[in-house]
Amino acid sequence: MRLKRIFVLGASMVALALVTTSCGSTGGPSSSAKATIRVASFNFSESIILAHIYGGALKNKGYTIDYRDKLGNREIVEPSLENGLIDLYAGYAATDLNFIDKRQGLALEAGTDAAANVQKINSRLSSKGVKALDPSPAVDQNAFAVTKAEADQYHLTKLSDVTPAIASQWTLGGPPECPQRPFCALGLQSVYGLKFKAFKSLDTGGPLTFTALKQGSINIGLVFSSDGGISANNFVVLEDDKHLQQADNVVPLIRNDVANSEVVALLNSIDAKLNTPDLTAMNKSADVDKQDPADIAATWVKNHGF
Amino acid sequence: MGEKPSNPMNFIGQVVQWFLDPAHWQGDSGILHRTFEHLVMSGLSVLAAALIALPVGIAIGHYGRGGIVAINVSNIGRAIPSFALLVIAVQLFGIGALPAFIALVALAIPPMVTNSYIGMREVDPDVREAARGMGMRERAVLARVELPIALPFIMAGIRTSAVNVVATATLAALVAWGGLGRFIVDGLGLQDYPMLFAGALLVAVLSLIVEFSLAGVQRLSTPAGLRLSKSSQKEESSGTALDTAAVAA
Amino acid sequence: MLATGVVGAVEDPWIRWSWISGHADVIIAALLQHIQLTLIAVVIGLVIAVPLGLLAWRSRVFRGPIFSVTGILYTIPSLALFSFLLPFTGLTILTAEIGLVGYTLLILVRNIVVGLNAVPGDVREAARGMGFRPLAELARIDLPLAFPAILAGVRIATVTTIGLVTVTALIGEGGLGSLIYDGLLRDFKTPLVVGTVLSVALAVIADLGLAGAQRLITPWARSRATP
Repeated sequence: MRLKRIFVLGASMVALALVTTSCGSTGGPSSSAKATIRVASFNFSESIILAHIYGGALKNKGYTIDYRDKLGNREIVEPSLENGLIDLYAGYAATDLNFIDKRQGLALEAGTDAAANVQKINSRLSSKGVKALDPSPAVDQNAFAVTKAEADQYHLTKLSDVTPAIASQWTLGGPPECPQRPFCALGLQSVYGLKFKAFKSLDTGGPLTFTALKQGSINIGLVFSSDGGISANNFVVLEDDKHLQQADNVVPLIRNDVANSEVVALLNSIDAKLNTPDLTAMNKSADVDKQDPADIAATWVKNHGF
Repeated sequence: MGEKPSNPMNFIGQVVQWFLDPAHWQGDSGILHRTFEHLVMSGLSVLAAALIALPVGIAIGHYGRGGIVAINVSNIGRAIPSFALLVIAVQLFGIGALPAFIALVALAIPPMVTNSYIGMREVDPDVREAARGMGMRERAVLARVELPIALPFIMAGIRTSAVNVVATATLAALVAWGGLGRFIVDGLGLQDYPMLFAGALLVAVLSLIVEFSLAGVQRLSTPAGLRLSKSSQKEESSGTALDTAAVAA
Repeated sequence: MLATGVVGAVEDPWIRWSWISGHADVIIAALLQHIQLTLIAVVIGLVIAVPLGLLAWRSRVFRGPIFSVTGILYTIPSLALFSFLLPFTGLTILTAEIGLVGYTLLILVRNIVVGLNAVPGDVREAARGMGFRPLAELARIDLPLAFPAILAGVRIATVTTIGLVTVTALIGEGGLGSLIYDGLLRDFKTPLVVGTVLSVALAVIADLGLAGAQRLITPWARSRATP
């Protein structure tokens, strides 16, 4: 009886060894069941960093990651997710919700509660096979900046300090979608009553916007609250005292087919550890110090044990 | 909006709609203003470049020295991507109209230098000698003998530069300038394909208008005598040094 | 007034050697993609241009339309040409190549016609007298004699295409143009400089290489100051 057991044990161990070595020698991943995940990012450093944080951590768990960096703005990225062209991107709770609402012809419902925003995103997208995971405490929302000289001249500290009279003489600068975005030109008009003399289409809070501000080609520009270059350039961010901007917490949007429990748990725990000061520091390394977003992300992943 | 159109006919309809919308024509970001911007920037750049390039090319051709430079400046110019020229200009001069202007002028100079040089060299040395022998002073030789012969070549150079400038001015929208390229660049950014297509149409039409009108001027500037002798070659189309020069530059 | 870049704290030098050594793989990949895009465009352009050129040379009826169409494709700015294709062929290499090929056609067709035109009439007479049939004459007399002009056209087309490939960075391709674009998007001088220098170098090498080939293959043809 014992001999038979030993024989069976020995045979199964040999079989196991054969199977695993043959798997290894053909170069196939031992975890051959793990999916390839296509991770996209927007056209700015922070988005690329976040994508590579998610991707890097997932890769460490054995997933194959296919990056689509700088895929475009939300008009390209979000539909790509719904259409199954990509699997994952780092979104921002309020802006993504409003974008999806607009796309589906619904009233824009983003609010100041990140969890509520995420819940609404999920109800909108459930039929598309996409879901949003847990929002992070890290926040990056639209902000409007002026030069220090301008802030001093007109005594500006908050957005409501900018009167309609001032705005009517000013040029607003931002990404091409700004005139159509509720968090941008549309919101400035509806919430603060500001109609600008002109709009200059630049980039998403990037070097074109910064240069335009410095040069005086625009008076006020859209920047991102976590941007690393704001203080370096002596810009003044005007406080959003009427709360035009809603809770734009970082949140991963992912297709259900790749969102197994391991992936979901991993991404959620990353989100829990991300915070705004981290984001700002990482952005500075990318935009000011010209380090590679992918390298910066890899450092964060390593430092936080992912 | 935002996805590729599945139906081409539908899409053309959308483009037509875009053109029919009066809001797209008015104001600082409307078609009329953008076209005007584009033309003015292109015209000024070509003019400024001509003020530099033509005297240089003509002088080199007149004195017959430095021809290698004149010929090769176009080759080198052609080797520098206009996109890179624009972005470098931005690094040096900031964003907006100034770097666009400087980049466009730099772009426009080489074809005009090369073509005016070639044109001046087309003058039969015997004719030049004869004129001098007749007692004409250098300036008269230049103005009454050389330039009329060189003129169609000079025009070919201006034409090549003008078309290149109009094309590159389209790219200047990327560095926060305006012009018709704005519709294309913003169309790309907004995934607004009707606007993108409409912008491309506007740019294409403008370029073709510039090319054809300058071709007409070039033809008009060809002295009648030369036109006759070259006419049989022209029949074969593009057999003349003129067009080769224009294409080569 | 020189803009010293966006950054207040750290100056961005024109070349950061550490970036270059750290990104050699990215740079080489961009260079290879650039070469690939160019080769595909010029080869396909030639494949299309030769029959078109022959047709334009032989047939007065087709000559006008062929030159008009290729002339229009040449005059239309590359970004506009890509934009016409985008809604139908998307952000793909196909869009880039259709545009790039279209741009080469005028140069190639024109030079093919000029080359064939330059074959002396008496040579062709002699060939016919010797009993050459039209196809044989074409292959063994006309085209070889036209070769210098055709090669000159390939030279110009190649250099022009190398420049245009950079624009494809805006439609998802790019080659060395993606380094230039990166420089714009990030206000980062080093990739801009690297992309530009390599582009120019590639164009110069291609031009000189083809000129050398021209001299080797057709020693009897002395091109006078062919631009």
